[in-house]
Amino acid sequence: MKLSNTTYKTLKQSAIAFACVSILSTVAGCNKFLDTQPQGAYTLENYPYQAGAGPYDTYIFGAYNFLKDYNISAAPFIVATSIRSDDADKGSTASDGGADVITMDNFPVLPSNGIANALWVNHYTLINRCNIALDQIKNNTAIVADAAVKAQSEAEMRFLRGYSYFMLVRLFGGVPLIDKLSDVAQSNVPRATAAATYAFIEQDLQFAATNLPASWDPKFIGRTTRGAANGILAKVYLTQKKWAEAMNAANAVMTSGQYDLSTPYTRVFSEEGENGKESVFEIQGTASSTEPTANGIQYANIQGVRGSGTFDMGWGWNTPSPQLEAAYETGDPRKDRTILYTAAGSKSLYGEDIPTGLPNPRYNNKVYTNPTYRSLYNSRMGYWMNVRILRYADVVLMYAEAANEVGGAQNIASAVTALNSVRARARNGNTAILPNIVTTDQAVAREAIRRERRVELAMEHDRFFDLVRWGISQDAMTAAGKTNFSANRDNLLPIPQAQIDLSKGVLTPNPGY
Amino acid sequence: MKRTFTKIFFLAVLCFSAFSVFAQSTTIKGKVIDATDKLPLPGVTVTLSGGGNATQTDVNGNYTISAASNATLVFTYIGYTTQQLPVSGETMNVSLAQSSRNLEQVVVVGYGTQKRKDLTGSISSVNGDELAKQPSINPINALQGKVPGLTISTSGAAGSSPTVRLRGINTTSGSADPIYVVDGLIQTNIDFLNPGDIESIDVLRDASSVAIYGLRGGNGVIAVTTKKGAKGRTSVSFQSLTGIQHVTNTIDVTDAAGFRKLYSAQLANQGGAPFDYTNYTANTDWQKLILRDALISSNSLTVTNAGEKSTTVLSLGYNKQEGVVKYNDYQKYNIRLNEEIRITNDIKIGANVNGFHFVNNPTSVSLNNALWAAPIVGVQNGNQYYAMPSFQRAQVGNPVATLDRFDRTTIDKGYRVNGSLFAEIKFLKNFTWRSSVYTNLNFNSTRGYTPLPFTMINLGEGTTPTSTFLDPNIRTGVSQTSGELREYQQDHTLTYEKEFTGGHRLTALAGFTTLHSSATNLSGARTDFNLNVPNNPDFWYLDVVSQNGTGNIITNGGNGSVESTAGAFGRVNYAYQNKYLVNATIRRDGNSKISPANRWETFGSIGLGWVASEENFFKTALPGINYFKLRGAFGRLGNSSIQNYAFQPVTLNGTNAVFGDNIYSAVTTNYTADPNLRFEIIQGIDAGFDIRALDNRFNAEVSYYSKTTKGLLTRVTLPNGVPPLLTNLGDINNKGIEFSAGWNDKIGKDFKYGISGNFSYVKNKVTSIGPGFDFQLSNNNFINVTQTGQSVGYFYGYKQTGIYQTPADISRTPAFADSQPGDISYADINGDGVISAADRTYLGTPFPPYSYGLNLNFAYKGFDLAAQGQGVAGNKIYLQRRTAAFAPLNYEANRLNAWTGPGTSNVEPLINNARGNNYLFSTYFLEPGDYFRVRNLQIGYTFSPALLKKASIQTLRIFFSGQNIKTWSKTTGYTPEAQLGDVLASGADNGVYPVPAVYSLGLNVSF
Repeated sequence: MKLSNTTYKTLKQSAIAFACVSILSTVAGCNKFLDTQPQGAYTLENYPYQAGAGPYDTYIFGAYNFLKDYNISAAPFIVATSIRSDDADKGSTASDGGADVITMDNFPVLPSNGIANALWVNHYTLINRCNIALDQIKNNTAIVADAAVKAQSEAEMRFLRGYSYFMLVRLFGGVPLIDKLSDVAQSNVPRATAAATYAFIEQDLQFAATNLPASWDPKFIGRTTRGAANGILAKVYLTQKKWAEAMNAANAVMTSGQYDLSTPYTRVFSEEGENGKESVFEIQGTASSTEPTANGIQYANIQGVRGSGTFDMGWGWNTPSPQLEAAYETGDPRKDRTILYTAAGSKSLYGEDIPTGLPNPRYNNKVYTNPTYRSLYNSRMGYWMNVRILRYADVVLMYAEAANEVGGAQNIASAVTALNSVRARARNGNTAILPNIVTTDQAVAREAIRRERRVELAMEHDRFFDLVRWGISQDAMTAAGKTNFSANRDNLLPIPQAQIDLSKGVLTPNPGY
Repeated sequence: MKRTFTKIFFLAVLCFSAFSVFAQSTTIKGKVIDATDKLPLPGVTVTLSGGGNATQTDVNGNYTISAASNATLVFTYIGYTTQQLPVSGETMNVSLAQSSRNLEQVVVVGYGTQKRKDLTGSISSVNGDELAKQPSINPINALQGKVPGLTISTSGAAGSSPTVRLRGINTTSGSADPIYVVDGLIQTNIDFLNPGDIESIDVLRDASSVAIYGLRGGNGVIAVTTKKGAKGRTSVSFQSLTGIQHVTNTIDVTDAAGFRKLYSAQLANQGGAPFDYTNYTANTDWQKLILRDALISSNSLTVTNAGEKSTTVLSLGYNKQEGVVKYNDYQKYNIRLNEEIRITNDIKIGANVNGFHFVNNPTSVSLNNALWAAPIVGVQNGNQYYAMPSFQRAQVGNPVATLDRFDRTTIDKGYRVNGSLFAEIKFLKNFTWRSSVYTNLNFNSTRGYTPLPFTMINLGEGTTPTSTFLDPNIRTGVSQTSGELREYQQDHTLTYEKEFTGGHRLTALAGFTTLHSSATNLSGARTDFNLNVPNNPDFWYLDVVSQNGTGNIITNGGNGSVESTAGAFGRVNYAYQNKYLVNATIRRDGNSKISPANRWETFGSIGLGWVASEENFFKTALPGINYFKLRGAFGRLGNSSIQNYAFQPVTLNGTNAVFGDNIYSAVTTNYTADPNLRFEIIQGIDAGFDIRALDNRFNAEVSYYSKTTKGLLTRVTLPNGVPPLLTNLGDINNKGIEFSAGWNDKIGKDFKYGISGNFSYVKNKVTSIGPGFDFQLSNNNFINVTQTGQSVGYFYGYKQTGIYQTPADISRTPAFADSQPGDISYADINGDGVISAADRTYLGTPFPPYSYGLNLNFAYKGFDLAAQGQGVAGNKIYLQRRTAAFAPLNYEANRLNAWTGPGTSNVEPLINNARGNNYLFSTYFLEPGDYFRVRNLQIGYTFSPALLKKASIQTLRIFFSGQNIKTWSKTTGYTPEAQLGDVLASGADNGVYPVPAVYSLGLNVSF
C-alpha cells in the first residue's frame, strides 16, 4: 500500500486522538460524568437522621412499620392463629378464600399453601428490618449516642425480633436463626432446633426486659416496654413449660405498677380502650378522614361484617364457632362482647339494627367498629383498630397458670386469686354471675384457669397455641368437627414448599408433610 | 515546471489527490437509464474512480462531469449494480442493471453504513414499503415473521408496543428488549415514528454486528432509517388506510345455565348451603359487553424536495386506533422535517426534527373482570347497576358499571420532540469527520377524575330483600401527573475510506459518544369530601379541590433519575478484490449504573468473509451460482439494563411507624445491593453463508450462532425474607440456526411472483447459576424455574396422569396423603410410590424454540397479491387466568366436563376450590403454544402510469387487506402469542389483551 506523507501524519494524529478517548476511563472529567447519584432518595450512608427523637429511631420505626403489615397482623395472622383453632371458623361464603384459607380451617394445610409462605417470608422481613436497625446501632459511627441510648434502642429491636421468632417457632417449629445483616452467601441457613430457637428468643427478650423503659412519653405510646418484654417472655416460658420462670416474668409485669384490670371488659376492645391500663403490647394503627387506610391495619376489615351497603364492613372471616359459644358460663357478659349475632332483630353494640340475610350467623364482635369513627373517617373498613397482642388479663392468667403448675399450697392459692381477679372484672359488679373459683386442688384449678383463658381471651389469637401447648389439640379440634385435624402433623404448619425449593433443600419439611 | 505547477494547483484545489493527475481533463456528458425498462434514472451518482469530481444525474437522467481522458467513471445508484467505465469519448450513455437483490444495498452497521456484500455478520433488512402495507400503528408489529431469529409478541391494545426478542434470551434482568437506532439516535422504542416515514429497518442479529454499540447492544439492535427523498425530484406522496378490528375468538366461559349448574355443584361439594337464584334470572355475556369492533386508521403525507444543494423532507402523519376493549382509544400525530444542505462538495450539514403527540384514552375495565363476573347478573336498570351476588360482591365488580363510570375520565397525553444536528466534512480526500448532537425530550401528562359511584342494586338472596345502595364514602376526586424525560447524545466520528490499487478497500473509523438521560416525575391527587367535582374535564385540576376543606384527601409524589454512558470506539473494514473481507470493531464503555470499580469494560468483534463466487475457479466450476459468501464472526458486548443505583441501596421513604395517633417517618431498604455489580458480558460467534443463484432468482442465507451471556444481572428472591438481591449470577447460552430463502421470477411478460420463507431454531440453556450461589431461582410463584442445564424460566411442576376415580384408584396408584376421588392424579416421577414435591419436573419452556414465516407475492399487470403467515412451535402457555380462586368466579367452559363421579372425566377435576392439590402447578394448567397465523392477506391494484399522467399522478395503488384473519392454535385464550415481557416469568396468560383481525382498505398515491 502506498500512503502519502500527509495521510500518514493524519493517521498518526487520529491514532493519538483515539488513544486519548480510549483511555478516557482514567480521565477525571469523564468519570465525573458517569458518577450519577440517586435522585430524590437517600442511601443508608447519607440519611440525615432526625434530631430530637432517638438517634436510631428512623431505622427502629422501619421495623415498627412492618408490624402493620397485612401478613404480620391481618389476614395470614388471623387465619393461622384463630381460624385454625376450635374457637373460630373461616366464615364468609363456602368457597371464599380458596384452598389456601379453607384448608387452614379444616386441614390438611399443603406445603404449597400461600398463607404459610406469606407468614414465613414476612416474619423474616420483620426480623431483617430489626437486623438493619441493630446493624446501625452497632456499626454506624456517624451516629453519636451514649451507651444507655444504644442499649435501649437495641432492646426495642431485640424485642420485635424475639416476638417474630416466637410467632415463627409456634407456627413452624425450629427455624433458621438469622441474627445479623447477613451477606447472601450466609443467608441460606438450615433450621435450628425448636429448643435452640426458644433459647435465642429468651436471650432477645431478656435483654429487652432489662433495657426497655417501663413506659414512654405519650407521644410514643405503644412503643415496646419492659412490661411487654416480660409479658411475652412469660408466654415463651409457659409454652416451654418453664413454670417458675413464667411465674417470675408474669409477676414482674404485675408488680410493675403500670397495668391493672380497671378498664371495663366492654371498653377494652373499643377504640377508646386502646393503649389503656389493660394494654401491654398493641400494634398501633390510626386513620383520619384524609388517610382512612394508609396508616392503619387491615385487621378489623378482614373480620368485619360481610353485608352490603353500610354493612359492607369487611370480608366476614374468622367467625366465632358454636363450641366457643357453648364455652361461656351462663350470663357471662363477655360472650356478647365477643360474638356479634346476626339473627333477625339483632342490634350492634352501638344500637344499630343488624340487617337480615347476612351470610354468617356470628361475627367477631371484638373488632366491631364504632359508627362515630366510621363516619368521622368516611370509611367502613376499620383500619384504625389496634391489634391487641398482649393484654394485662392475659398476663394475670399466665401468672395463674404458671403458679398453679409450680404447685404448693401457697402458689395454688395465688393462682386462684389471680384467676378470680379476672372473673371479678368480667362480673362487673353483677354478683349473680361468674362466682369466684374456690379450690385448693391443682387439677381443678388447672381446668378453671384453662376455661377462663378460653373465654376471657376468645378470638384473641392464643387459642390454637394454647391447645397445642396443653397437648389437647386433637381432642378439641375433633370435638369442633375439624375432623381432618391430625395433631402429629397439624400442630405445626408445613415449612412452605417455596422456601424449601428456594433453599435447594437446606430447609427440611415438618413431620407428616 | 508546468507539470509541477499543475500538480500543486490540483493539490490545492482538488483537495490533495494522492495520485497525481497528469492528463488533460475533458467534459463528458451522457444519460443514465434503467437496463430493463429503459427509463431515465435521476439521482445516479457519477464520480471519478480514485476520488475527485462528483455529480448526479438530473430528472432526465443526464449528467455532465469533467474528467481526465484516462480516468474511470463510477456510476452508483441504490438498488443497482455499480458500473465502472473508462472514459471513452465525450458522450457516455450508460444503462444500469438492477442489482441482485440488495447486494449493493447499504445497511446500517452502527455509526455508519456498509454494503450488504461486505458484511461478515447477520443483518436482515426490511424495506419500508413492505412495512407500510401492514395496517399497524406501531411499525415493529409488521416485522413479525419477516426476520429469522426475531420473535415478536404483539399486543392488541390500542397504541401499544410489542415485546421484541432477538435470538433467544440473553439476559434475566429488567429488560431484554433490543435498542432502536433511529438515524443514529439511540431509542428504547419507536412509538413516535410514523410507519409511512420509514425507508428501511435493519435488524442487527449477531454479536459481531452490534459490538460497536458496546453495552447498549446486548439484546440486539434494530436500526431504522427514515426517508430522505430521492435527489433531483420533488414529490408528494400520500398513504392512507382505514380498517375495522374484530376479536375473532373470545374465551369460552359458562353462560347462566352452565354457571348455575357448576356453582350449585361446587357448593354441594364444599358443604355450603344452596344458593338462592330466584332473583338472578339474567344471562349476561360480559365479554361481549366490553368488547367491540373498533376502527383503525393510518394516514401520512410526505413531501420531498431535492435540489443541487439541499434535500428537504416534510412529513405529516395521523394515526388512530380504537381498542377492541371499550373505550380504549389512541391517536398519534407526527411531524418530521429533515433538511440536508451541501455547502460544498465536501461539507454538508443537516438537521432533523421529529414531533410526536399522542392522546390516549385507556380502558377502565380488565378483561379478567369480564371473565370472572357471574353471568346470572344483569347489567343495569335505568341508572342503577346490578351488583354481583354476595359470593362475589366484595371481590368482583360489575364490569359495565366500571366501564361506564370511568369512561373518559382519564386524559393521557404525551409530547415527544427529538432532533439532531450534524455536520460532515470530507478532507484530505479520504477522511470524513462527522459530528452529531441529538436531543430527545418527552413530556407526558395525565389528568384524571374519580366520579361518584352509581347506585348499585343488591338483589335479594334468601331472607335478604333486594336493596339499593349508593356508597356515601366514595367521593369525587381529581389527579394529575406529569413526567419529563430528557436525553442528550453526541457522536463524533472520523472515517478514513480508500481504495488502493490492487483491489484493496479499507474503511477505518474512530469515534466517541456520550449519552445522558434524566427523568422527573410529579403526581398528585385530591378527593373532595364537601363538594362534588363535576364530570367535566374543565375542572380536572388539583386546585379545584380545596386544600383546606374538612376531610379532603391530598396526596402528592415526585421522583427522578439520571443515567449516563460514555464510550469510544473504532472499526476497520477491509476487502481484498471483493473476495476476502475483514471487519473488526472495538469499543470501550462506561456506565453510571455499575459500581465505580467495574464501571469500564471493553467490547469488540472480528469478522471474516470469503466471497467464493469471485474466485475464477468457482466461476468456471459453478456458473449457475451468481454469488456465494462464507462468513464467520466473533463479538463481545455488554448489558447494563438493570434498575438505577443497583449497587448502592437507596432507602425507601413513605413508610412510617404509628404510636397512638402519631405518625413518624421511617426508613427501610427494599433490595439488597451488590457493591461489586458488573456488566453482563455477551460473547458469541456467528457463521454462515449467503447464496444467490440461477440468475439471482434464488437466494438463501443460513446462519449458525452460539452466544453466551456471562455474569447475568439478576434480581434474586432470597429465602428468609431478605430483600431481593441485585447481582451478577451465572451464564446463559443461546444457540440456533436461522435459514431464509427466496425465489423471484417472471412467467411471461406480465406475471411476476416471489416466494420466501424463513425458519429459525433457538436453544436457550442456562449453563451455570453462578459460583457460590446456593439458592433456587424461581419466579411467578415457583411456576418458572431457572436452573443449570435447562432453558431460562422453564415451567416446573407436576404431570397430570388423569383423575382419581375411586378410593381404590387412590390406594392402587401413587397419590398424596390427602388425595380424594375427583382430584387430579399426578405422575410419580421419582418412582417412590407416593406423590410429593419431589415429583415435580420439567414441563416445557415458555420461549418458542421454533419460529417460521412465509411470504408469497404475485403480480399480474396492475394487480398484486401478497400473503404472509407466521408461526411458532415448541413452547407452552401457562393458563394463569384459570388459577384465580380467591372467590367463586365464572367458570371456563372446560369445567362443564368436571368430574362428578367415577368414569365422568379423566381430565377435569371435581368442582371444589378447597382441593388445594388440584391447584398445584401441573400440565393441567399448560397448553401447547404452537400456532400458525395468517398475518396478512392483501390484494392491490396499481394504475398504469399512462392513465395517471393526465391527472399528473405519478403512482396510484389501492389495496384491501385482511390481517390475522385466521389462526391455527390449540390455545383457549384471546391470542396464542406467548407473553414474554418478564424474562424470568414468561409465558403466562393472565388475561392477555386480544389481538384482533383487521380488515382494511388503503390507498398510496404520489404526485
